Amino acid sequence: MNLYLVLLAACLFVTSSHASQEEFHESLTLKPLQDGKVTSHFSFRTLLRGATPRNPETLDKEDNPQHYTLFPLTLGQILREYAVTELHLTLNAGKWDYDRWGYPEEEGVGTGAELWAWMGESSAQSVDQRWSGLRNALSGLFCASIGSLDEQRTTSPDFTFQPKGYLPEWSSSHQIRHGTLPSEHVCTENLTPFLKLLPCKSVSGIATLLNPHKLFDADWHGLGVHVRYLHDVGIEVRLSFQTVADPIRYSFVGKRDWSLRSLFDRAIERSCPVATTSEVRLQLPAESTAQISPDPSSLDNGYATFDISKVAKPLNIAMVWPDELKFEYPLTSTPEPLTHISVHRTLKGYSQSRGVLSIDVTNNMPITIQTSYLESMPWLLQFYLHSLKLYYNGVSRDDLISIVSYTPPVPHSRPTLLQAVLTIPGNSTLHLTLDVIKPFLRYTEHPPDAQRGWDLPPAIFIPLLPSQASGSPNGTAMSINGMEENKVFPNRNRIRPHKIYTPILLVDPATPDFSMPYNVIIMSCTLIALIFGSVFNLLTRKNNDLPIERILDILLNKCIS
Amino acid sequence: MDFEFVFPALVAGRFLLALAPFPGSLKHDHQLSSPLTSYPRLQEGVYLFQHGVDPYSGGLFRHSPLLLSLFSTAIPLQRHVSAFLWTASDAVAAWALVKIWRSRKKLQSSSRDGLIAAMYLLNPYIFFPTLALSTSTFENMLYLLSVMFACQGQVSASLLALAFLVQLSIPSIIFLLPITLLLITSPISYLAAPKLFTADLRKTIPILLEFLVYSTVLTFASTLACGSWSWVAQSWGAVFGLPDLTPNPGLWWYFFTEMFDHFRPFFLMVFSVHLLIYMLPMCIKFQHDILYAIFLLSGVMATFKAYPTLSDPGLFLSMMTLFPEVYPYLRHPIVTTFLHLHAALLLPLFHHLWLSQGTGNANFFYASTLVFGMANGAALLDAIWAGLRIAIGKLPDGAEAVQE
Repeated sequence: MNLYLVLLAACLFVTSSHASQEEFHESLTLKPLQDGKVTSHFSFRTLLRGATPRNPETLDKEDNPQHYTLFPLTLGQILREYAVTELHLTLNAGKWDYDRWGYPEEEGVGTGAELWAWMGESSAQSVDQRWSGLRNALSGLFCASIGSLDEQRTTSPDFTFQPKGYLPEWSSSHQIRHGTLPSEHVCTENLTPFLKLLPCKSVSGIATLLNPHKLFDADWHGLGVHVRYLHDVGIEVRLSFQTVADPIRYSFVGKRDWSLRSLFDRAIERSCPVATTSEVRLQLPAESTAQISPDPSSLDNGYATFDISKVAKPLNIAMVWPDELKFEYPLTSTPEPLTHISVHRTLKGYSQSRGVLSIDVTNNMPITIQTSYLESMPWLLQFYLHSLKLYYNGVSRDDLISIVSYTPPVPHSRPTLLQAVLTIPGNSTLHLTLDVIKPFLRYTEHPPDAQRGWDLPPAIFIPLLPSQASGSPNGTAMSINGMEENKVFPNRNRIRPHKIYTPILLVDPATPDFSMPYNVIIMSCTLIALIFGSVFNLLTRKNNDLPIERILDILLNKCIS
Repeated sequence: MDFEFVFPALVAGRFLLALAPFPGSLKHDHQLSSPLTSYPRLQEGVYLFQHGVDPYSGGLFRHSPLLLSLFSTAIPLQRHVSAFLWTASDAVAAWALVKIWRSRKKLQSSSRDGLIAAMYLLNPYIFFPTLALSTSTFENMLYLLSVMFACQGQVSASLLALAFLVQLSIPSIIFLLPITLLLITSPISYLAAPKLFTADLRKTIPILLEFLVYSTVLTFASTLACGSWSWVAQSWGAVFGLPDLTPNPGLWWYFFTEMFDHFRPFFLMVFSVHLLIYMLPMCIKFQHDILYAIFLLSGVMATFKAYPTLSDPGLFLSMMTLFPEVYPYLRHPIVTTFLHLHAALLLPLFHHLWLSQGTGNANFFYASTLVFGMANGAALLDAIWAGLRIAIGKLPDGAEAVQE
């Protein structure tokens, strides 16, 4: 019987390993922006066909051996070790300006590090244990301080962070863990391990352009790792890098002309031989005065596409505006807003013990829409939820918010999680205020340079367009009615829910004097000992009235002896 | 002046004061309300409770479930209702103080009644916390009611008030022994003529058992009200673990802000036990006048408890009016008075400089809490000295009272 089982398992293993094919797709999307900047979005997609995520119930058993040719082994090992079904890691620097740049290609643009993962529950190892291991493993892999995304920063915002792929139907359900570390910055030491995960490294193909000198000089830059499971297809790992470069800053005469060489200091010399597809897509601006060179392989839908394997190399795509002597910055934002909603979040108040969190959400669409609102706040800022006020046209309208879930903070350990849905009438602004208190920390809890304060994570908004909003909030997928949206914004071709990250905040909790521990212990203890001693001196002795001469005698005797 | 006229006038004055448009920031002041007694936190807890979130699952709300159930069902937390309730509670407390005085003197009324009520109702350490709607107002009221009933010999009423007080603030358990002793003796002043304790100590057993029953019932009622035992760690546990380091006029917060992590549990234990060890010596030394021991223990609480506010020393100072016989024997009344005035000036000033103005640092406020601690300690020592010294009476010329 056992022999049969072994044979069966071996057969299955052989067939499954034969079935798992690996594919590698790479692409670069370039997009000139209205303020003269250029966004570049690198995407390196490796697909492990036929693979499934590890069921966490099998964690106490020996895992199948892993053989990959294109799929990054080090990442694959981490995914198997901690039985992670879906994983998203982003490391960004800078503030994404939605009002000028619109929605990013890669939606995770929150400043700092953000990690979220969906993991199946298991009796072998709890989700929290594996989350901790995953953080430390990724921290080692990417040379980033993700390890400090501890339980003080971990929340479970299942309403806002829906899975991007498919969650296998195991006996136990899936849980999400999410953490942000806004003070973490992305730099070369994170890019080097990132490049090592690519099959062609930075030797050939599009990845040649990933030149750290230029990437980290950009106005905004960030890298991302996205792992998801596609049902009946396999496991997909997508490594992405996104930058917003400013060609005007590079140009001596203030022109917005750019080329791959000016943006990255490199051109694509040769194609990556193992890539199934490898292409550069360039979005053509609405005004037609721009010229591109060389000629693209194809032109469709406002995009010029260059197939790396076919075009002549070295490929140095360039875009010039020959009629323009000097770029004129647009004085106002475009007549048509680029995003559904605009959000401004500030922390007001001068006191070091309390303040007011103030948020303005503007609906840029003519129809009433709903938007989900997520605050995942470390206990460094604590909300008085009862003071939450909504104002619409100066009138208090508390009915426009509905709170989906609220987890109050625990000092020294757990963050706050607030998930809500806001309803915003068309073309108008909702003003939201919330009283907050800034707690007092132990002196060992303050970071170095404590007076600078703490960076607080961004709030996240997801506009739910009419057809979405009607769906139940805990539905697995946020469907979207493309027809509806296209009627309102005809030239917006991306149809999916968009996350909007607000800029991060800074909170300055009151600091104790860091040189004082010994002094405070000494002085407080002295006072207590003084009172204690005097009280017990009074309580334990006998009272007497003595003539002055007798007292003098006693004192004299004491002095002599 | 006539008490029947003075008392209503004082209470009416306090109601007018409560309705005056004081700035809302008073409610957030760290000297007037601690995390355990703060009004905004009570509002937050009630809000969370009414919206189906367990308020004890977070660290913001640390009030007793009794207050939570009271304000989430019976009484809405609105400005005018609260102003009325808090001021009324102060009025009850002042009335209880007058009753204590009357039973101590075995009088139906006296000329001093009005003064005693005024000393409570017009004490700034009492009425500012009430204006800030700190729940320490209720603690003071329950404390005075318990003592009043004990003076009148009403066992059940006194123990019930004490059981409620212990629910709201667990350190008040140190009053259990003296109040039990007061119940089996009398509140009449024997300070000047000490005598040995003659009452039968076995009588305390049914009293202690009755208290235990009340406390158990209230504890279970609290658990029933909020649905789980999580409140115990959040509300009572905070007094021993000091999880919230919000500044207050006491001695704990900066000490444990600056404490080395590996010594924290040890010093938390030392500070908690330290509060407890005063109970027995005070009761033994003042066995002839247990009411005086209760008064002294409230001074110990005001100086050493974990989350004190100004209302704790306020209670001690107001209670001093009950013992006019000791005034001539106070040791350094001038020094103590000036220490208190000095601290009363420094505390709000340095608090503002540190947290709002940003021109001072934490040491400023810490220094003023030390001054305040010295003032409270000096007042306590004065009171102990005077309570003992009065027994000797007037000395012949050329003699001085000493201890040996």
